Amino acid sequence: MTTRLSRGLGLGVAAALAVSLSACGASDSSEGGVSGEDYDGPAVEVTFWHGWTGGAAPTIVPKLIDKFNAEHENITVKNVPQEWADINSKMPLAVKAGKGPDVAVLHGDDLATYAAQNLLQPADEIIEGLGYSEGDFPPDVFEMGDFRDAQYAVPWSVTPLGLFANKDVMKKADLTEVPTDRQGYLDALEKLKAAGVQGEWVDGYVFTGTFEFQSLLWQFGGDLYNDDVTEATFNSEAGVEALTWMTDLVDKGYSPKNVAQDGNIKALLAGDTAFNWNGVWQTTNTAFGDLDWAAAPVPQIGDEKAVWSSSTHWVFPANKGQSADETSAAATFVKWMNDNSAGWAETGELPAANTVREDPTILEKYPNLEPFMEQLDYAHYETVSPGINEANALITTAINEALTGKKTPQAALDDAKAKADAIIEQNQQKYGD
Amino acid sequence: MAIDLAATTAVPADRIVGRPGGRGRRPAARRRRTLIAYLFLAPFLALFVTFVIVPAVFGVWISLTNWSPFRDSQDFIGLKNYLDLFTAGSTTSADFWNSMRATGLFVVLSVPFLVVVPLFIAVLLNRKLRGATFFRTVFFAPYVLGVAIVGVIWSYVFDTQSGILNHLLGLFGLPSDTPWVVDTPWVWVSLVGVTVWWTAGLNTVIFLAGLKGINTDLYEAAALDGAGAARTFFSVTLPGLRPVMIFITTTTILASANMFGQSFLLTNGGPGNETRTAIMYIADQGLSQNNMAPASAMSYVLFAFLAIISVVNFRLQRERSEKAAS
Repeated sequence: MTTRLSRGLGLGVAAALAVSLSACGASDSSEGGVSGEDYDGPAVEVTFWHGWTGGAAPTIVPKLIDKFNAEHENITVKNVPQEWADINSKMPLAVKAGKGPDVAVLHGDDLATYAAQNLLQPADEIIEGLGYSEGDFPPDVFEMGDFRDAQYAVPWSVTPLGLFANKDVMKKADLTEVPTDRQGYLDALEKLKAAGVQGEWVDGYVFTGTFEFQSLLWQFGGDLYNDDVTEATFNSEAGVEALTWMTDLVDKGYSPKNVAQDGNIKALLAGDTAFNWNGVWQTTNTAFGDLDWAAAPVPQIGDEKAVWSSSTHWVFPANKGQSADETSAAATFVKWMNDNSAGWAETGELPAANTVREDPTILEKYPNLEPFMEQLDYAHYETVSPGINEANALITTAINEALTGKKTPQAALDDAKAKADAIIEQNQQKYGD
Repeated sequence: MAIDLAATTAVPADRIVGRPGGRGRRPAARRRRTLIAYLFLAPFLALFVTFVIVPAVFGVWISLTNWSPFRDSQDFIGLKNYLDLFTAGSTTSADFWNSMRATGLFVVLSVPFLVVVPLFIAVLLNRKLRGATFFRTVFFAPYVLGVAIVGVIWSYVFDTQSGILNHLLGLFGLPSDTPWVVDTPWVWVSLVGVTVWWTAGLNTVIFLAGLKGINTDLYEAAALDGAGAARTFFSVTLPGLRPVMIFITTTTILASANMFGQSFLLTNGGPGNETRTAIMYIADQGLSQNNMAPASAMSYVLFAFLAIISVVNFRLQRERSEKAAS
């Protein structure tokens, strides 16, 4: 009961904080003159917020920061890791109060939400000073930081989906090659079925049914929203085709019914299934251990190549009374981190900076990353629009309803579209347009 | 509540110090003692006011505005947030009432088990049996776990294909593909089961304390009158537990109505949004989607429901105990 009580109190505190903070005025951020040169002003402390609390990150990040601090006499970076969800609930209020970080890493789908609320500094000058442009990152990643004609973010990492295969299980059906196209994939699933194996277990949760659906939707030529994100379009013919492909996996017996969350990756590890569409982050999953496994690009089921990917980005929060020196020092830190991001592959994320990622030594050390890098030419990233995650959540609901047989794919997606449109309209009022 | 406490603590102090003969000084002394009592209460009061009363009042204000953490000034919009909840077709109403239904269903399904099971265990443990302390610890142990741990443990147990539970059922020739955390109605069975396993220990301990408070003479008398076990239970044990019972049902209803973690972790609110509880929806709207104003309005609607239920429950049980006493 204490946990429940404290949770309730937490909500109350957050509300109280929110109210007292909202009294504070708007942020009047001054922009620092930033050049490609290292920051050379007076000694400053730079506060850095990020959500890397799991995997290898908690040891890598402090090491990188220590190294940076040692190399830069006048800059001390203060490392503040916390859960992503906590960042999202704390940062808006902290920035408004002038107590937010000087630099932070955010997920791509949150950038617009933050930018629309004037929580981030328009960073065109900073980014120009650092010498970054679109061509320094995989296609479409840099542009995600662009909101209403200003650039707010510098890419840091990308995390595409891929196909994980258990080769021991594939052997049961005499399969040696991981399939790459629709026919090959169907043949493999059919052979596996004949050998008594359900080849791909499909689930109706964000991880990773939603990512699979989005990949398929793009492959069939559809998109989640229209160009200016005023309407949801995931219930298009392509969307229905994508979701039907997933429900067919169950109907045709290639997947069991009612797979629980993470049930499919567990099954792959346990040798109960051959294929799993999962994120590049799984390459660092120690549970693979001695398993004979392989990663490959997701097979092309639709008419074109496409795959879901998420991304993370550096941002410069527009704290109330933000010091130009601290922002300038933060920019130096961002540049240094990107230049030294080769070790980031250890966390199972791909460094966004092309120069770093394309360095052959990374693949020598982490050969499993190759298929994921290959896919970056045609990867699709998350939608950039303020408050869009509330609408995105409805996609998962629709997939879940279709896979549990509550609704047909068409009906589930239509219902989700109707609700998503209402939320998009609400967002336009909430965040302005 | 704080004032009640002050009154009850002040009274015994009065009795001890207030000797006959010292009547002349009594009002001053009483005032001083009252002051001291308030002084002792001050730290709690300060916390209570800062973290409960003030946010609660602010919450009412938020629910009457189009509050957004990103605007500098907030506009008063009257009862619109509340009216939206009762207007079919608004962005919040269908989802909110759907989540209230989930919460209501969970309360109705879980509270009987959360009262009866602990009562049964408490009665068993109250017998002079060997290893009672051991079993008491065993039954209480899950309660100390955090909901995150509970979620992880049970997601392994409940997995449709590779879960331990389905595997065991399969060994006994029972269906081994029950979607425990994926599809209705099994999701409700799982959520209630996990909650009983997790929190029954607390109610058990409270019932045990209540049982120890029942005068043993009554059991002796019942035995002399030839009452059997069942008769003794219904005529001595249950009436003796009445005050404890009021406390337990009230707190258990409130706790169940605040269910969040179990469905957040085990079912993700699924299938669809079937098991998304009111608290889950409110937290999502307020903290994740920045719709703080509608979320506050929802909190107050939920609060109104819980307040009514608590008062009704209290009245009903008090009347029953009054009837029993007369």
